[in-house]
Amino acid sequence: MDAARLIVVGFMLLSACAPAIAADRTVSVTIYNDDLALVQDRRDIEIKGGRQRIEFQDVSAQIRPETASLAAADISIVEQNFDFDLLTPAKLMEKAVGQEVTIVRVNPATGAETREQAQVLATNGGVVLKIGPRIEVLRDDGLPVRVIFDKVPDNLRAHPTLSVTVIGGHAGTRPATLSYLTPGLGWRADYVALYSESDGKIDVQGWVTLTNSSGVTYDHAHTLLVAGSPTQVDGGSPNHYRGPQPRAVLQQPGTESGGRERLGDYYLYPLAEPTTIANLQTKQVSFLDVHGVPAEHGYEFHNRWLGTSETPQSAKTIYSFSSGAHAGLGDQLPAGILRFYMRDKHGDPQFIGESRIDHTPMGSTLSLATGDAFDVKVRAVVDKRTRLGNLDWQSDMRYELSNALPRPVTVKLLQEGLWGDSRITAESQKSTRRSADTAEWAVTVPANGKSTLTASFETRF
Amino acid sequence: MRWATLAWILATAPAAADDIAASPPTELSVTVYRAPFRAAGSIDLDGLAGFALVSEVRTVHLPQGLSRLRFEGVADGIEPASAIVTGLPPGVIEKNREGKLLSPSALIAATLGKAVTLLRTDRKTGKQQRLDGTLLSDAKGGVVFQTSEGIEALRCSGLPETFSFAGVDGLAAKPTLSVLVRSAEASTRTVTLSYLARNFDWAADYVATLSSDGKTMDLGAWVTLANGNGVGFPSARTQVVAGRVNRENGEVEPFDAGGPIFARCWPRGSTSDLQWMPGYLQFADEATRARMTMFKKSVAGAPELMEEVAVTGARNVQQEQLGDLKLYRIPEHTTVASRQSKQVRLMDRGHIPIARVYGADLAADESASSAPAHLLLRTVNTMANHLGLPLPSGHIAVFVMSSGEKLLLHESDIQDRAVDEEVEIDLGDSPDVQVTVEKTAASGPARTQLRAVRADITNARPADIDFELRLQMRAGGRIVHADHPVETKNGRPLFRLTIPANGSVTVRYQTEYRHS
Repeated sequence: MDAARLIVVGFMLLSACAPAIAADRTVSVTIYNDDLALVQDRRDIEIKGGRQRIEFQDVSAQIRPETASLAAADISIVEQNFDFDLLTPAKLMEKAVGQEVTIVRVNPATGAETREQAQVLATNGGVVLKIGPRIEVLRDDGLPVRVIFDKVPDNLRAHPTLSVTVIGGHAGTRPATLSYLTPGLGWRADYVALYSESDGKIDVQGWVTLTNSSGVTYDHAHTLLVAGSPTQVDGGSPNHYRGPQPRAVLQQPGTESGGRERLGDYYLYPLAEPTTIANLQTKQVSFLDVHGVPAEHGYEFHNRWLGTSETPQSAKTIYSFSSGAHAGLGDQLPAGILRFYMRDKHGDPQFIGESRIDHTPMGSTLSLATGDAFDVKVRAVVDKRTRLGNLDWQSDMRYELSNALPRPVTVKLLQEGLWGDSRITAESQKSTRRSADTAEWAVTVPANGKSTLTASFETRF
Repeated sequence: MRWATLAWILATAPAAADDIAASPPTELSVTVYRAPFRAAGSIDLDGLAGFALVSEVRTVHLPQGLSRLRFEGVADGIEPASAIVTGLPPGVIEKNREGKLLSPSALIAATLGKAVTLLRTDRKTGKQQRLDGTLLSDAKGGVVFQTSEGIEALRCSGLPETFSFAGVDGLAAKPTLSVLVRSAEASTRTVTLSYLARNFDWAADYVATLSSDGKTMDLGAWVTLANGNGVGFPSARTQVVAGRVNRENGEVEPFDAGGPIFARCWPRGSTSDLQWMPGYLQFADEATRARMTMFKKSVAGAPELMEEVAVTGARNVQQEQLGDLKLYRIPEHTTVASRQSKQVRLMDRGHIPIARVYGADLAADESASSAPAHLLLRTVNTMANHLGLPLPSGHIAVFVMSSGEKLLLHESDIQDRAVDEEVEIDLGDSPDVQVTVEKTAASGPARTQLRAVRADITNARPADIDFELRLQMRAGGRIVHADHPVETKNGRPLFRLTIPANGSVTVRYQTEYRHS
């Protein structure tokens, strides 16, 4: 019994169970974008020769056990188990049914202790004990009774545990690598862009943000970040129907190659130093710091087909810049959130909005919306709808643009929903047809003034 | 390019980092932003959906070599990914925000598998027994431990039992951000930490007072800002920003404030119905639990009830342009306390000329039974009208002076209004002015359909009123005849009418639809 107890203590004190595992351990973690990581845990394991069970307690609590594999020289794997029966007082008592426990009655008046051996008969609703020839219900009278168990049953643990049964060849300590996939680890990029209005330039810092909610801490882990999302078989259904497309952030995809390491078509971002990724920690490491990149500030207004409004709607504030080597950020940008700041009259940076970007190749032109302009507004109105024939309609649109800023602005006005079969028959200013679906005007609005744009569309249906 | 291929700083293992705490903030700045999706209306103290940019200036004494610099007491709504630290030497290796906070359950979890001392007190004598043991499990709220006597479950015996821990195992009491930095030399630096934090909000609260003749109004407004965080910002420079800014709904990794620990036991059924003691005993004392609930709420974004509404002096905020947004600066340093809402004066303008306009929005050729008209106060946001300043969105209460007393007329929401824009204040329905629409004739199912409509507007008020009848046409329809002049506003037919005091006006018109 004492030996069993010692082993239990050993279970708990060492991070992994018998056979004892040496401290010589390296962990490497490869983190993908979509909440997935590959953990490779290399340590020395003592192989006794013959059949033996190896337990790994400090694996991710969210481990996908079906992806776990143990590799070491001269062993063959019999089976692999993932035990998630947790050690609780109730489970402890339940597993003790039919076994002997020690009960210690404490006299509430004197504090005197009486020790007895008892057999647990049942734990259904309450604990029924057999003490010598008598049957009793545990603490039926409410008086203090301690119950002492001799050992913890084999498969009850404080954490879900992976165990591997192996048949070892020759005995001896040798390195083994346990690798598995786990959700709960993820990363994304966070960018800080400081826009200077006076010279139209931005300073951009890029940070890699790692998050760990996998339930364990990876000490001193060699970390590799992969900008990409390997498709998981069970990860969602293919999206055949795509709703209205969000505003295009990427205006012009880039064609330049940077100096980053690649894996297939993914970019790799290795962390040069091993780092400790604590559970529930958010960790940030810098990867980009560029100053004085030219950026353009503009306005954009999207009107859906026959969109009409009683009150003027704000135009979007747009900042565009390049990720190219020439007059740009000069790097491919992993997906993340770009936060814009601008200095106020006192010179303090203030937040002016943020925008999400996808993985962006080097040399791309990005156009990011940071919010709505307070002073630049557009009211789109369907002035008239006239039926021209059986299926033909003429729609007269009027767009009233107003600008309360003390300087002229140019608004990129986009009329969407043209479906390719709409014709513009008259317009007060020449448009460009960006696509079959979208017509675009660049409307200049004078300082503290208004502009009006009209256009007639001929459509079927 | 000038920047390094990789800015990770190569060096030895960061294991031997010194732990350095930054000084408490010496200078604070808080800029509050509104809930991005709210176009109008006031803030909801029970769910502050806005956010703030917090900047803290702190002093640090950096030794030479590697150190872990801790910024304690940041707002609990911090979005760690947005944190920016400036003023450090060029050797920042990483920034971390620890998610685990010191709590009873975090202590238990941190001590798992380690040595712990069990304290058992005799209820009669008060004698305390100390036993060294090991924590085996804290799974699902039950605690199992082992001593030299064997394995037992905490608080299942009915005896007063608790643990005594050796240390807090590096758990921080307050939300903490840390920076791992390598410094070439020892130095004292002034460091600025900026971050976005959730659980703030602000809105404008307007009070309009109509003059007794109803031709002008006085408009005053407060900026009402609130902080739902558990952290206060004493003597901070405070700004609010109007205008909608984009927010990507990024998830914030929550703090683990630690759930309460229940010493869950084995089944406690007995041979009688009498409940001798509760099924579980809570490990955490009441105060801790209350604090944790509060904390979790504040982290989750639902603050506790605000304790006070502080109204500061009537010095107006100063407005300036921030890109395409409006920034309002509170002129003095002020304390943005935790779970507080605060009001500062935004503006006071008098004698603003207003038009009282009654109106109704109706389908052009459907009969409608008698319904009250809608009353609007209309003005234009110009200097000539004693306005001409950006009006941030919020809530407006309209009062009227009646025999020397102020009476509340109506409350409504208003949206952001730029300079030179039309401002309409909703005053609700007016039962004195009723609109009835009657379809009097309709032609058959020919290619061209004609409908004749009569609209009656009655006025029970002792004064002439301005009335706007706005019609909604189906596509392809138009008005062919009308006995009053028709205008078009926003693509819709509109009759502008004057209804005489205690009188009525009848409008007749004919609509036409072409079917092909």
